[in-house]
Amino acid sequence: MTIGQITVSDVSKRFRLERNRPSSLKEALLRTGRRNIDDFWVLRNVDFEIEPGSFFGLIGHNGSGKSTLLRLIANIHRPTSGQITTEGRMSALLELGSGFHPDLTGRENVYLNGAMLGLSRRHMNDAMDKIIDFSGIGDFIDEPVKIYSSGMYVRLGFAVSVNVDPEILLVDEVIAVGDEAFQHRCMDHMNLLREKGCTIVLVSHNAALMGDLCDTIAWLDHGRVLELGEPAPVLEKYLDHMRGGGTTLTTRD
Amino acid sequence: MLKLSPAAQKSANLIYHFAQRETKSRYKRSLLGWFWSFANPLTTVAIYSFVFGVVYRASPPATENGNAENFGFFLFSGLIAWNLFTGIVNGCMGWLQSVSDLRKKVYFPTETALLGGAASNAVQTSLEALVLVAIMAALSNLSWTVVFLLVALLFTIAFGLGVGFVAAIMNARYRDIFYLVGVLLNVGFFLVPVVYPVSFVPEQKWGLPIRALVEWNPPALFVGIARDGVYFLEVPTLGHLAAASAWATLTLAVGWTYFRARSMDISEEP
Ligand SMILES: Nc1ncnc2c1ncn2[C@@H]1O[C@H](COP(=O)(O)OP(=O)(O)OP(=O)(O)O)[C@@H](O)[C@H]1O
Ligand SMILES: [Mg+2]
Repeated sequence: MTIGQITVSDVSKRFRLERNRPSSLKEALLRTGRRNIDDFWVLRNVDFEIEPGSFFGLIGHNGSGKSTLLRLIANIHRPTSGQITTEGRMSALLELGSGFHPDLTGRENVYLNGAMLGLSRRHMNDAMDKIIDFSGIGDFIDEPVKIYSSGMYVRLGFAVSVNVDPEILLVDEVIAVGDEAFQHRCMDHMNLLREKGCTIVLVSHNAALMGDLCDTIAWLDHGRVLELGEPAPVLEKYLDHMRGGGTTLTTRD
Repeated sequence: MLKLSPAAQKSANLIYHFAQRETKSRYKRSLLGWFWSFANPLTTVAIYSFVFGVVYRASPPATENGNAENFGFFLFSGLIAWNLFTGIVNGCMGWLQSVSDLRKKVYFPTETALLGGAASNAVQTSLEALVLVAIMAALSNLSWTVVFLLVALLFTIAFGLGVGFVAAIMNARYRDIFYLVGVLLNVGFFLVPVVYPVSFVPEQKWGLPIRALVEWNPPALFVGIARDGVYFLEVPTLGHLAAASAWATLTLAVGWTYFRARSMDISEEP
């Protein structure tokens, strides 16, 4: 397998939802009656390959499973069936403050993030100034991140992510929280990473943006891939579908 | 230079990070933190020395040379292993809990948090052990058997981690496991011969071979081996050593396997 490749083979993901799930041993032992378990399939038989160095987009209605798919690629969850393989150093920006420990300062979190990516302390020392500079959060770097604003979280997260030379970058719409100037900087930097050969997977509801950036787009609907391919035709079908009222969010069955 | 695979290098970095964080939080306020970490075992030693040595007038178990025959030393030499054990078991539950929110947002091998925490505890215990050995040397009650203190502590770490791995996973699922374990460890403190020598335990009681039960349970073996090495200056029996190493490796293997099988579920706990 080459660096930067992502293979998603026949992946399904089920979440178990249990009403009145006991959270203590006492409750579990004293419980009477049957367990009340609902199975909910968030993804079904998702199967595709992302080529090294390509820019891959995921679109779909709210709750279609985009974020879940990114989490599976990031190895946060394990697929219920199927397999995902990734090759190369992966950095993920999945939600506000992902990868940050609220009690640690920004600087400590940068080191922790480096360690999670397998980078040495020395490497992080070298990257530190660049990261602080890019994030533009200044002296706040030595404050605990729990006092950061949403935008500051994202700024620091993105700054770390792009300055650690990722070979795979997963982005879940977080950049939308930054201000205009920062969003521009992010775009520039994503383009730079892409030129360096980094594989990028982006989730966004912004069809125009996706059309500009992506080489390939997958449209997810209720956990299944409806369309996959060149941005223009996929987006056209997707937008047609959404204009026609879109998909109603079905309740869990 | 040791060359590690990228995955191992990453784990090593993380273990170092978590160990450092644990140590830092312990030594916050530097000198005072250092003092408090010693205050706990020292007060325990002082209290029990008073109760048994002064109130009950129990004479400390006799040693070969009699140089360091003192209830406090007898106690401390066993307590050091017991405290390491409880520190790791209780710690594992807390360490996993403290990273579980983070693990819901980003992947990293969660065992590194437990291994890092345990490493920090091991360093702390080594310092206590050095103090003990220094005192023993000053009282000229020291021999090569002191290596068995080290052996006992290594067994304790392995066994404590094995138990801790299981306890941590169960605690992530049922939040009252932490309290249950706390109660069990309190009971264990008196069931394990830390404050009394095994020879005080009647051989039979209620139709049970209770001395054998007390003598051969794992924490008691570690406590005994540590004490043999640094207090009695004796070589532990082969039986004790074999049983202790079997308990340590088996428990660690079971705990590790269980943890690895379940740790991916942490991110799906509501
Ligand atoms: N840990 C979880 N436990 C149970 N259900 C979950 C869990 N995570 C996600 N889900 C469910 O899976 C479905 C898909 O969620 P997901 O976050 O992947 O959607 P999405 O496509 O990213 O939506 P959006 O566009 O709103 O971000 C939702 O119905 C959600 O409630
Ligand atoms: Mg989402």
